[in-house]
Amino acid sequence: MPRHVSLGWGVRKEKGGLWTRSAVRGKSVRGERRKRDGRIEWRKWDSRRSKVAAMLMRSKVDPSTLIPNPGSLCVYLGASSGSTVSHLHDHVCGAGNHHGGKILAVDISTRMMRDLLTLCNTRPGIVPILGDARYPLNLAPYLPRMADWLFQDLSMPDQAKSFVKSTSYLLGEGGLGIISIKAASERWSTGGDEQHFDESETIINSAGHLEIIERIDLRGLEEQHIVIVAQKV
Amino acid sequence: MCVFSRCLHDGFSHTVQVKPHTGSNMRVIYDWRLSKVIDADLNVVDELLWTSSRSSKSVASRMEDLQKGRLSPEARILCSRFPDAIPDAVGHLTHADWPDLTVEEQQLLESAAHILAKRGVAEASGSIDRRLDMLVSSQSELRSAWTTLEARCIEWVGLLLPSLDLDKDRERIPQAVSDSTDLRDASGRLGTSPPPHPPSEVEWKAIQDIGQRCLDVANSLTSSEEAIRTIASEYLPSLSKLVGPLGAAKLCVLAGGRERLARMPSGSIQVLGAHAAMAAHRRGAPPPKHGSVIFSMPQVSRSPRWVRGKIARFLAGKASIASRLDHFDGEPWTESEIAEIHQLSEGIKQKFPSPPKRK
Repeated sequence: MPRHVSLGWGVRKEKGGLWTRSAVRGKSVRGERRKRDGRIEWRKWDSRRSKVAAMLMRSKVDPSTLIPNPGSLCVYLGASSGSTVSHLHDHVCGAGNHHGGKILAVDISTRMMRDLLTLCNTRPGIVPILGDARYPLNLAPYLPRMADWLFQDLSMPDQAKSFVKSTSYLLGEGGLGIISIKAASERWSTGGDEQHFDESETIINSAGHLEIIERIDLRGLEEQHIVIVAQKV
Repeated sequence: MCVFSRCLHDGFSHTVQVKPHTGSNMRVIYDWRLSKVIDADLNVVDELLWTSSRSSKSVASRMEDLQKGRLSPEARILCSRFPDAIPDAVGHLTHADWPDLTVEEQQLLESAAHILAKRGVAEASGSIDRRLDMLVSSQSELRSAWTTLEARCIEWVGLLLPSLDLDKDRERIPQAVSDSTDLRDASGRLGTSPPPHPPSEVEWKAIQDIGQRCLDVANSLTSSEEAIRTIASEYLPSLSKLVGPLGAAKLCVLAGGRERLARMPSGSIQVLGAHAAMAAHRRGAPPPKHGSVIFSMPQVSRSPRWVRGKIARFLAGKASIASRLDHFDGEPWTESEIAEIHQLSEGIKQKFPSPPKRK
């Protein structure tokens, strides 16, 4: 058995977890482990801290189909301080953005934006946007065309509804829209977490423009969270 | 179909059309670089480019407007040229031959985004809500630090000076300890008998340190409360008069800002600061009558148990009105209006002199 499986350019899955090819050599973004393999440096993509990594670990379909292609146009809603964005950047843009990719990293918190800005200084291709990710019309001016890949990680009520809205406006046909749903962010109801997840799934299903590919439970990596992967048709 | 004549005007190079289409279903689509009018069949009817010299600063100010949902200058001109056309903020994303960003434009947009994000971060420091949050949080942390230090200081000195009256002299102890040269001196200052087992010099140093720290923290606490009082009485004048400036600041911080406080139903204001009780309520426990802020008002905490809920509900209603006055630039309440409110809450208390009968 080979020691690692490649999930695409610069992303590897090994026995212990995921690694991305570091675009900025010699630097950890949030204190993650680094290792060398020949001339290439790899950064550990912690699946307990990043929901994208958790999704890739847990997915039952081929995880390489869930990540964007190098050089594509990605939107990340709820980028926070950008640790996940940095790994996506490793893959989509690469060192010095030689793939010519672009990641729109949207967050509403000025505190998080501060950290994200320092990240952007060393990583060309990330576009930091301080704004409310629930209003996709206000993000559209930053895009030259529809996005190829959209990830939403907002800890706010009505996550599924804003996901439907942002995918309908910003995501191109055939593009992947992925949402991480946090049960604790929804308004309280008697049915518990599962009911929130089922309701969100129904909302996404009935939107009409999204076809659900997979529903991934992140239990064990991230409690009270699921990820729904959908394709825009 | 169209006759174009190019001319330069105000930095816009635009195409002028002789006979404009005035059909419905026309849309104005735009981004920061250019704007187009397209008809229902996606034909371009008119277009306008931004041709003045571009810098990351000028792009940033354009993006700022666009992000707020405003039109670009070109789109505005096209809209006035074609009054029937509807502006479409996402139209450019799906338009087939919308020009891709050149490398230079890509860089301009990226640095404009940087500028805007940086500006947003810098502007956050001007928000009084955030500054109050820092002050109120530091105040509550200082308070808990002071309680711990003060209790330790009292207990420690109490152990070594067994004849000291810890209730009567409590407030004087930290000061006396920090002023004295040793514990015998401190016992003299406190007017009690000298310690039966005097501590060694190093041990005394540790005691004195705690006393000193206790006074320092008390000073910091006073100054931070002073700052809160000044800011809150200006930022939340009516609410400060009703629940006191410290309470008003706390309500504002718990609600997550003055705007959110002003938009809150009074029932939510009533239970602000009762998070644990609200969480328990969601699992079936009886609802809390009041949160910590409303409870801290003497009208509630000094009233008999059975009217507290009623008065808390009444005062929360008034607090919600006060916060709206403060946020939406209403005329602040005067002392006489506050007195009237307190009279009414006294009336509620009078109305229920005895506890309700048990069912």
